[in-house]
Amino acid sequence: MTSVDFLFWIFAILSVGGGVCMVFSKHPVSAAMFMIVSLVGVAALFVLLEAFFLAVLQVLVYAGAVMVLFLFIIMLLDVGPNASKQKITHLKTGMIGITGSLLLISTLIFIVENGGGTSNFVHSELPMQATNSLEFSTNISAFGYGLMTKYMLPIQISGFMLLASMIGVIILSKRSSPHDDA
Amino acid sequence: MVSVALCMLFLPLLSALVTLLFLRKNGSFASLLSVCTSGAILIMALSLIFDRNADTLAWDTTWFQLGGWELRFGFLIDAPCRLLLFVVAFVGFLIHVFSLGYMGDDSARPRYFGGLSIFMFSMLGITLADNLIMIFVFWELVGFSSYLLIAHYFKTDESANASRKAFIVNRIGDFGFLIGIILTYWVYGTVNLNELADLADFSPSLATTTLCLLLACGFIGKSAQFPLHVWLPDAMAGPTPVSALIHAATMVAAGVYLLIRIDFLFTEDALGLIAFMGALMGLYAGFCALVQRDIKKILAYSTLSQLGYMAAAFGMGAPGLALFHLTTHAFFKALMFLGSGSVIYACHHEQDIFKYGGLRKRMPLTAITFLIGVFAISGVNFFSGYFSKDAILLWAYNFNLPVFILLYAGAILTSIYMFRLYFVSFEGESRSEYAQGAKENSILMTGPLILLGILSIFGGYFSIYPIELGSFLRADLSISDALPNHMWMVVLGTIAWVVGLLFSRLTYSRVSNSDPLSKGLPAFFEICQSRLFFDEIYHFFISKIYDPFCRFLEVMELLFISGLMVRGSAGLAALLSMLSKLCYSGRMHTYVFWFLLGTVGFLIYSSGLINQ
Amino acid sequence: MLTITPYHFLILSILLVGVGFLGLLIRRNILLMLMSLELMLNGINIALITFSRVGNNLDGSIFVFFIMTVAAAEVAVGLALLVALFKKRKSVLSDDMALLKN
Repeated sequence: MTSVDFLFWIFAILSVGGGVCMVFSKHPVSAAMFMIVSLVGVAALFVLLEAFFLAVLQVLVYAGAVMVLFLFIIMLLDVGPNASKQKITHLKTGMIGITGSLLLISTLIFIVENGGGTSNFVHSELPMQATNSLEFSTNISAFGYGLMTKYMLPIQISGFMLLASMIGVIILSKRSSPHDDA
Repeated sequence: MVSVALCMLFLPLLSALVTLLFLRKNGSFASLLSVCTSGAILIMALSLIFDRNADTLAWDTTWFQLGGWELRFGFLIDAPCRLLLFVVAFVGFLIHVFSLGYMGDDSARPRYFGGLSIFMFSMLGITLADNLIMIFVFWELVGFSSYLLIAHYFKTDESANASRKAFIVNRIGDFGFLIGIILTYWVYGTVNLNELADLADFSPSLATTTLCLLLACGFIGKSAQFPLHVWLPDAMAGPTPVSALIHAATMVAAGVYLLIRIDFLFTEDALGLIAFMGALMGLYAGFCALVQRDIKKILAYSTLSQLGYMAAAFGMGAPGLALFHLTTHAFFKALMFLGSGSVIYACHHEQDIFKYGGLRKRMPLTAITFLIGVFAISGVNFFSGYFSKDAILLWAYNFNLPVFILLYAGAILTSIYMFRLYFVSFEGESRSEYAQGAKENSILMTGPLILLGILSIFGGYFSIYPIELGSFLRADLSISDALPNHMWMVVLGTIAWVVGLLFSRLTYSRVSNSDPLSKGLPAFFEICQSRLFFDEIYHFFISKIYDPFCRFLEVMELLFISGLMVRGSAGLAALLSMLSKLCYSGRMHTYVFWFLLGTVGFLIYSSGLINQ
Repeated sequence: MLTITPYHFLILSILLVGVGFLGLLIRRNILLMLMSLELMLNGINIALITFSRVGNNLDGSIFVFFIMTVAAAEVAVGLALLVALFKKRKSVLSDDMALLKN
C-alpha cells in the first residue's frame, strides 16, 4: 500500500465519519465541530486530487468563514441540547429518512456503475466553441486564466449575487421596528 | 287434460287472491273456501291420474322470450308425478280439514288459509313442472309460503326468527341450485327435463359431476340435509298442521322429488356421496331425537332421519324405492303430526312430552292412530313403513355395506325414540292438569287421523296401487324382491323394532318429569343434546368471520364502486384529493420530505434507470 | 489495499451526499439541516474535482470554485432568515414553524 492510499483512507474516514457524527449528534455546537473536522478532511482530499488552490479555498471559505458563521448563530440563538427534544422524534421519520437516503445512494451508485445512464431528455448538439476545454493544471494562474476568459460571465454574475446577498443579509438583520424584541 | 291440469294449478292461487282481497276479516268463510278448493284439487288430481289417454303427458308453451332465448312453461305428467300428485292432493285435503278444527279459534284464519292455498299452488307447480327453471320458480314460491306460514304466530320472537332462518338457509341451497341450472344450460343447452333425458351422457366428467352436485344443493336446502339441516327443528314454531303438511309430507319431500326428476344427470361419484350423506343424516337425526322434550321437535328430527333414508335410497341407484318411502312416509308422518296436533290442542298448546302421560285412556282414538304411525315408522312387519324400509335396507345390504350399517343403526334408534315418544305421552300417569283434563276432539280432527291411519297400514301393499301410480315403483321393487338375503333382512328388521320396543318399555314406561336417560347416561345425553353444535358453529361463523368480511366489502364498495366508478371523474378526483390531503400537513418538515424525495424520484427517472 | 481509483472518490462523494441527505430528512433543527446541506455540497465538490482530474479538464475545478461562492452566500442569507424567523417563533425547530397546519 502506498502512502497515498493510506492518506486517502484516513481522510476519507475522517470526512464521512465527521459527517455521520454531525448528523447524529445531540448538541448543535458538537455538530458544528464535527462538521469542521469533515470539511478539513475534504480539503485534504482535494490536496490528494492535486487541486491545491481549491483545498486552500475550502479551508478559508468553508471551514473558516461558513462554519464560524454557523457557530456564531448557534451562540446567538442559544440553541441548547434540549431544544431538539430527541434526535429522531418519530420512528416513522427515521424509517423514511433511512429508506430515502438508501434510495439515493443506490441510485447514484447504479448510475456510476452503468456509466452514467441514458438521459430521458432530448439534448441538442452543443455548438463547436462550447466544447473547447481548458487543460487541467495545478497552477493558480491557469485558474485565473480560465476564470477571466471562458468564465467571465459567471464571475460577473456571482459578483452581483454576492452583492445582493450582502444587502439582503443587512436588511434582514436590521431591527424592523423600534419596539421589537431582539 | 291439459286444461284440467291448468285449472288445478291455478285454482288455489285464485282462492288465495280472493282471500287476500275480500275475505280478510271473515275467518270462517276463508277457511271454507280453502277447504273446498283443496277438495276440488283432489278431485281434479284423481281425474288426471286415472286418465287413460296417455301414459305420459307432456305439454308446454312459451312463457316469455328474451332475445333469442325463451322460457317455457309446461307440464310433464309421468309416473312419479302422478304418485306425488296423489300424495300432495290427498294429504293436503286431509290437513285442510284438520285445520278447520285445529285453527277453529284462531284469530288470523284468513292469513293462514291464504298461505295454505299459496302453498298448494306452489307445490303443485313443482310436481307438474317440466323444466328446471319452472321448478326453480315454484321452489322459491314454496319457500316463501313456508316463510309465511311458520311466522303465523309472528308476535313471538321465536316464530319470527325461525321463519327467517328457514328462508335464509333455504336460499343458500337455492343459490347452489341456481348455479346448477345455469351450468346445466351451459353444458347441455336446454333445461327441459325431456330433452335433458335424451341428452344426458353417462361419461362422468368434472362438469357433469359438479352440475348434479349443484342441483342437489337445492335438495340439501329444501329437504334439510347436512349441512343445511338447522332450519327444520326451528320451523316447528309454526302451527301444527303447517308442520304436518309442509315440513313432513310435502315440501321437504319436494327435494327428493327433484332428485328423482333429474336422476339421469347423476354420475357415480355424486350418487355415492348423496347416499353416504343421507345415511349419516339418518343416524345423526336419530341421536338428536332421542333427547328432545318437545313433541314436534322429535317428529321434526325423525323427518330429517327419514329424508336421509330417501336420499340414501336414491344415492344407491333406486329412485323408485326413494319415491315409495316418500309416499309411505307422507302418510305416517302426517298422521303422527296430526295426532300430535290433536294432543297439543287438547292439552291447551302444551308441547313438552314429559307433561303428558296417560293420554291413552282419555283420547283413545288419537292414541290408537298414533300407535299405528309409530308402528309404521319403526318398520313393524306388514305396516306400510315396513315395506319401504325393508326394501331400502335390502338394497343397501346387497350393494353398499357401510351405508347399510348406518341405516340399520338409524332404524334401531328410530324405533327407540318413537316408542319413547309413545310411552311417555300416552302411557303411564298424567303428569299435568292439562293432561288430566284432555278429551277427544271433534270429527274434523279425528276423521283425517283415521283415514291416514288406514293408509299407513295398507299403503305398503303396492300391489293394490293402480297401475298409474305404481308403475314407477314396480321397476325397482321387482329388482329388490329378487335380491338375495331377503329372509335375513326380515329377521334383522324385526330384531330392530323389537329391541326398540323393549328398550323403551323398560326405560320410559314409568317416568316422572325428567328424562331417565339424562340420569342414566349423562355424558351421552349431553352429546346428543348438543346436536353437534351446528347452530353454534354457524352463529360463530356469521358473526365473527362473515360480518367483518362484509363490512370490509362495504368499505371497498363505498370507496371504489360508489366513489370511483359510479361518480366517475368526480369520485376519482375525490379519492385523489383524499390522498393528497395527507401531504398537506402544515409542518414544514413534511414539505422538506416531499421535496427531497421528489428530487430523488426525478433523478431516477431522468437518468433512464427505469428503462434499462 | 488496492490502489485508489477514481471510483473510490466517486463512492466517497456519493456517501457524503447520502449522509447529508439523511441528515436533511431526519433533523428537525433548521441549523442542522443547513449544515447537512453544506455536507451535500461538499460531496458534490469532491465528485466534480475527481472528474476534472480524470478528464484532464479544468472546467470542473472552476465549477467547484463557483459552488463554493454560491454556498457561502447561501449560508449567509439562510442564517439571516433563520434569525429573523427566530425572533418571531422563538424556536429553531421545524416542528414549530407549522402555521399552515389545519
